[in-house]
Amino acid sequence: MNRRTAIKQFFIIAGGLTILSSCLNDGGASIVLNKLKLSAEDEQFLGDLVDVLIPKSDTPGGKELNLHLFVVKMVDDCESPENQEKFVSGFNKLRKQLNLANAKETENTLANLTDKTDEKTFFEIFKSRAIQGYMNSEYVMKNKVIYKLIPGPYNGAVKING
Amino acid sequence: MANLNIDSEKNRTYDAIVIGSGISGGWSAKELCEKGLKTLVLERGRDVQHIKDYPTTNMMPWEFEHRNEMPYKVKEENPIVSKCYAFHEDAAHFFVKDKEHPYIQEKPFDWIRGYQVGGKSLLWARQTQRWSDFDFEGPARDGFAVDWPIRYADLAPWYAYVEKFAGIAGDHDGLPELPDGEFLPGYPLNIVEKYFKEKVQKKFPERKVISARCAHLSKPNQIHIEQGRVQCQNRVLCQRGCPFGGYFSSNATTIPWAAKTGNMTLRPHSVVHSILYDEQKGKAVGVRVIDTNTKEEIDFYAKLIFVNAAAINTNLILLNSKSNRFPNGLGNDSGVLGKYVAFHNYSARIYAEYEGLLDYTAEGRNPAGGGYIPRFRNLHKQETDFLRGYAAGFGASRSKESDRSGLGLGLKENLLNPKLGIWQVGSHMMGETIPKESGMVSLDGSKTDDWGIPLLKIAVDYDENDEKMKKDYIAVMTEMFTDAGFTNIRPDTHWQAPGLDIHEMGGARMGHDPKTSVLNKWNQMHAVKNVFVTDGACMTSTSTQNPSLTYMAFSARSVDYAVSEMKKGNI
Repeated sequence: MNRRTAIKQFFIIAGGLTILSSCLNDGGASIVLNKLKLSAEDEQFLGDLVDVLIPKSDTPGGKELNLHLFVVKMVDDCESPENQEKFVSGFNKLRKQLNLANAKETENTLANLTDKTDEKTFFEIFKSRAIQGYMNSEYVMKNKVIYKLIPGPYNGAVKING
Repeated sequence: MANLNIDSEKNRTYDAIVIGSGISGGWSAKELCEKGLKTLVLERGRDVQHIKDYPTTNMMPWEFEHRNEMPYKVKEENPIVSKCYAFHEDAAHFFVKDKEHPYIQEKPFDWIRGYQVGGKSLLWARQTQRWSDFDFEGPARDGFAVDWPIRYADLAPWYAYVEKFAGIAGDHDGLPELPDGEFLPGYPLNIVEKYFKEKVQKKFPERKVISARCAHLSKPNQIHIEQGRVQCQNRVLCQRGCPFGGYFSSNATTIPWAAKTGNMTLRPHSVVHSILYDEQKGKAVGVRVIDTNTKEEIDFYAKLIFVNAAAINTNLILLNSKSNRFPNGLGNDSGVLGKYVAFHNYSARIYAEYEGLLDYTAEGRNPAGGGYIPRFRNLHKQETDFLRGYAAGFGASRSKESDRSGLGLGLKENLLNPKLGIWQVGSHMMGETIPKESGMVSLDGSKTDDWGIPLLKIAVDYDENDEKMKKDYIAVMTEMFTDAGFTNIRPDTHWQAPGLDIHEMGGARMGHDPKTSVLNKWNQMHAVKNVFVTDGACMTSTSTQNPSLTYMAFSARSVDYAVSEMKKGNI
């Protein structure tokens, strides 16, 4: 890490996860990545895509929770080099096919991706990582599907009402 | 100068030295200190103080950099430890990374280690069952290994003694093959586990499904409160270290208790090179240590030495303790030191579903993990084409799942409204393996570690008996699952290397005969009366129980014997 980056560094909260920010002024991604190379434009597209997947309603959507940055962070650190390659290649191919302004068309394209193509692999990784980030986000775990550090006593036979 | 040396030596002299601070070492330390012996506890890793050194213990899931997933690079660099079920972001700091401490796998062996004060007691699965005479009489009855020099009656009072202090939750099941103990209230089986228990009871009366017994404070007694521990809060995040002291670890329990006596000196960062033997005195006089910070070699002296470095490292230390009297390792007149190492066969599981009792669910988390099936195969007599048998875990759970299909508002709605699925059930085997001379650890002739200690070579393997047992387990569980009306039964006979069970045992086995064993019935070296081994290295056979409780009992019993022998002037 060079000195300039170090000075400009701050943190971005992605789905409640703190991610190291990169230098914001060079047209690159807004977070520090080790292997993936991402332009600000790529990042913008992924942000729009994650809002198609998990849109804003009366609760925050994917982009607001920075789930696209979470996806990129996880792909960068936790996916195999093969998956990373497919992710990047699939992303580059798919973004040319998608018109995010047209929701119906986008949904249709994403629902009909051909098996074993890089596009399909990209979207599978993107979707599962975004859902992982969403379900494990501070927002969801505190407000919706509540996680308790201390869950209370164990009850092995709870009658379900209705 | 001479006086300085004498003073220095005096400062390095204790009544007793304990090598290792894990489950068995913690117990040895506590017992020795309580009996008034000035005790030096040597730990090769760093200090980990209860609560203070559990950095992840109160972290929420979203606070982990990768949501508790290990980065690809870490997994790639550490293929061995990455196989361990507990090696995640929340506990990775308590595990030895592959590269840090290499060893030689003559045969595949996943050696999982925790080098810190408390050792693996921070990470263990906390299942605690007593042995019975069906286990101690195994080698003699079935003609393998050597006869255990003790029987259940020798150990029973010591099981009771350690159970009361450690805190063991369990039910009184009245099974001769799995004796009851000094229990805190057991954790309940859930409704499907109970249903399975009843089905099994009806159709296969010789097979028992009980609530798993575990080292958790379901309802603490005064002695636990005095230790500064409180009731287990059912977090089931134990591998992070528990701020409540809800489960037994050396860090929460025995080490602070030993410290409180004022008799313990704890020395972390101290790798033991060897035990020093004095030929004229005919006994061990001390321990040679390498300080991992300064790389300095330091000798410490004591009248009594307890070796609790964990099974395989205990073998390493003994093999490396060479002298004219013992050219092949301390106390190794028999030549069996390092041999007859065995483990538990965990290489089969089975999963299924249950579509009954859907008007019930379970809430909260069960620290015991569910049910336990004690060994029933070949229990009273030989009845199959393989020796011995297996215990099994059994658990049922019903979790809320979200439909993850589609995208957009529909997907979002589904994600936020997970629905209860049907019951999922599963079981894993814990098979007894037969110790063999070929199952061994030895020192490499040329390669050494960072401290100049020879690298350890490990050659431990499965055999035909294990394969037959595995098949039987799958057949038996399939039969029981089918009878219970479980569906989608899926056997999983994956192969896993020995070691991943983290139940490695033997190498310095107990026995009657100094010609075929290293230790006597008191865990005392036949040939060196002031050296005791009370960790997994002492095990003559493995049986099917999780072994830690037995190491605790051995440690307390051996200290009691050793100190009384010292008082009589015999040590």
